[in-house]
Amino acid sequence: MTEGTVKATFDIYRYDPGHDRAPRYQRYTLDLAPHTPVLTALLKIRAEIDPSLALRYSCRSAICGSCAMQVNSKSRLACETQIGPELARDGRIVIEPMRNQSVLRDLVVEQEPFWRNYDKVQPHLILDPRHPMPEGSENPMTPEEVERFRETPRCIACAACFSACPAVEADPAFPGPMALAKLYRFVVDPRDQGHQDRLARIQTEGLWLCLRCHLCTEACPKDVRPSERIRDLKEMAVAVQGGTEHGSKHAIGFKDNIRDRGLLNEMKLVRQTSGVVGVLEQLPQGMRIVRKRPELIRKPHRIEGMDEVEKIYEALDRPEEKP
Amino acid sequence: MLKHDVVVVGAGLAGQRAALAAIEAGRDVAIVSKLHPLRSHSGAAQGGINAAVGKEDSVDTHVYDTVKGSDYLGDQDAIELFCREAGPTVVEMEHFGTIFSRAPDGSLARRPFGGAGFPRTIYAADRTGLALLQALWEHLGTARFTLYEEWALTSLIVRDGRVQGIVALDRRKGDFAQIGAKAVILATGPFGRVYGRTTNAHSCTGDGVSAAYAAGAALKDMEFVQFHPTALMETAILITEGARGEGGILKNANEERFMSRYAPHVLELASRDVVSRAILTEVLEGRGFPDGSVHLELMHLGKEKVESRLQEICDFARSFAGIDPVTQPIPVYPAQHYMMGGVGTDSHGATNLRGLYAAGEAACVSIHGANRLGGNSLLETLVFGRFAGEAAAAYAESAAAPEVHDADLDASTAPWRAWSSRSDGEDPSTLRTEMQATMDRYVGIYRNEADLLEGLRRIRALKERAKNLRVVDQSRVYNVNLTDALETAHMIALAEVIVVGAYARTESRGAHSRTDYPKRDDARWMKHTVAVRAAEGPQLSYSPVAYTRWEPKERVY
Repeated sequence: MTEGTVKATFDIYRYDPGHDRAPRYQRYTLDLAPHTPVLTALLKIRAEIDPSLALRYSCRSAICGSCAMQVNSKSRLACETQIGPELARDGRIVIEPMRNQSVLRDLVVEQEPFWRNYDKVQPHLILDPRHPMPEGSENPMTPEEVERFRETPRCIACAACFSACPAVEADPAFPGPMALAKLYRFVVDPRDQGHQDRLARIQTEGLWLCLRCHLCTEACPKDVRPSERIRDLKEMAVAVQGGTEHGSKHAIGFKDNIRDRGLLNEMKLVRQTSGVVGVLEQLPQGMRIVRKRPELIRKPHRIEGMDEVEKIYEALDRPEEKP
Repeated sequence: MLKHDVVVVGAGLAGQRAALAAIEAGRDVAIVSKLHPLRSHSGAAQGGINAAVGKEDSVDTHVYDTVKGSDYLGDQDAIELFCREAGPTVVEMEHFGTIFSRAPDGSLARRPFGGAGFPRTIYAADRTGLALLQALWEHLGTARFTLYEEWALTSLIVRDGRVQGIVALDRRKGDFAQIGAKAVILATGPFGRVYGRTTNAHSCTGDGVSAAYAAGAALKDMEFVQFHPTALMETAILITEGARGEGGILKNANEERFMSRYAPHVLELASRDVVSRAILTEVLEGRGFPDGSVHLELMHLGKEKVESRLQEICDFARSFAGIDPVTQPIPVYPAQHYMMGGVGTDSHGATNLRGLYAAGEAACVSIHGANRLGGNSLLETLVFGRFAGEAAAAYAESAAAPEVHDADLDASTAPWRAWSSRSDGEDPSTLRTEMQATMDRYVGIYRNEADLLEGLRRIRALKERAKNLRVVDQSRVYNVNLTDALETAHMIALAEVIVVGAYARTESRGAHSRTDYPKRDDARWMKHTVAVRAAEGPQLSYSPVAYTRWEPKERVY
């Protein structure tokens, strides 16, 4: 390697709940090649400066999922994040434990809630004894059927998505992106006999709590794209069951609303989502909004250019070619 | 006191499959793992799993290829059993939910692999280990067992000539604890980290093999160390043999497809020992690239094939080497990859110690002999994991309850606890780095007497220094400094066994290449090395190779 080195400053979150009153940041400065992975730098700090730094790591090749942590506020795998671009952008490298998980020590977090959510989606084939598997041979599955899993088989359960997810932070009832991507993997599995039940159950067990912010997809080191699979689950759930929950009714109401007039009728949408009782419950809040922002209450009307909107819906209604 | 019928140490494929078998046999089972099971190194296996299920293929051909690949050191009875189980094992994993790659007709897709007469390697893109690990863990989730997550094995409890439990460190709490067991199954995987340049994960430190050795178990064929031909030049990250199976070729700096000189019939798909030696020879004779590598070319396969069948290695090459395999050659060089040796077992996982079983890479059955074929190790974990689980469960059914005394814990863990109270002593990282440098330099692909003697001298000096290890981190919770020290001590013990075995074996066979004894010597060395611990170091003896139908021949690829 003829490449030169750069001075890399690391500010690393340190916290030992048994000893420390509060977390602190400890600074380490090393000379490193710019393409050095963050994990290599952390192991160098452990080996040469401070053996007390605690972290999880194993494969160092982005396949075991052990070393997810926050690097300059992004949930990443330390092993595949190079220091050069981080230093170029932020001037230093701040290393913190993942979010949405309590800290056991330094960069090591408690993952029990993450694993519990994974278990809750029943991550195994649900079989129907009336349709036994072929004896002595594999179930046939075409390459096209394998394609339906999309990128979900690549998931390494690193929890970077769980760490990045604001819905996980806001509501412990949300299973998190990894668990839902895992659920998708079983829903599309032609061997699985539990699709309908799985979709019905997840409608009431957090599916609609996803905020559609796509931060999980941005964080995922394996390009599993959890937010897109959550979208697919919502579509499949509505297709199977129609609107049964606030979330699905809201989505359907939203779609019908725009189809009618090209813009939202918020009053109507509240009724579609929550029913008459829901409207009454939300009345005080509605009145406050009207008082403060009367311009929000517009007379329902159809926008100009409805023909363009109709074209969009026609395209949406056309049977989709299979991915 | 914690107690179970069967305690499985290690939660990769072998450990999980063993646990499943013991649970199905009705035993109370615990799994002890220093990592979450889904983080096990089985998940890093890329290329595939062998099963002779194609119409043109046969179990006998799989047996022959494995025997030949082993350079006639594999036990043929065990290999026959192993190959017969291959088809049903793969089907079972498919039924458990594994997402395999498929052929257009919906059957399991197969790719060619090194040393195999037919395309026999069933795969899931280039993440077959991950696909199997996910499916098995998810299937196991429907069964009842106790998981000791992030517990690191330190030693075995032996009483009255019988293994009756384990001692382990609960990494989260920082406490040592004993777990009593009627039977213990070691499935702790490899110890590739005795080398610096290795494809193995940092956690592959042979804790189980070392604990077995310390307890008096016989280790077998430890000198046979597989070097994978194609690891990334700088980081030693694995580039699957599947890359060559899909048509990837190797070139030297003169643009020559040099494998034609070493394996004129099958070129890049010769067995791993042959290809690794070829690469080393090219580089030593001055035909390597300036960085000391040779090039693995995939560009001619086309973007679509490379990105779909070799998706992970595309990511690896891009993230870890800054190379796009679709348009650029990948600089590669061999790296330690697999340990053919391990705890000696019969084909049901039983060791020479009553109550102790082993399976997977931690064990040596031996089916790989002097050189393992690609695609045979995933199969080994599942086949022999199951057999070990069944045998341990059967033994536990009639075995007496384990006798473990709380009062023994202090004495048995005193040496490790002493590391933390020392004010001066040896740094585990330093010892580990020196051990790795020693093994890389003196006990590599090509070996000779002078190097091995020097290697042994250095490893023995490290062994002395390891008696004075010091752990500076005083916290109990997740003390990586302490696990580092435990692992380093485990590995130095195993490194010594490797070197002693390699020094004694004055022939070249499979992955063991002595430049001072370049020929295979069947008259003197067609036998397994057996190493047992003694005060002064490993004591070697030899045991016969089991033959059935395949006469030793010269290996030509």
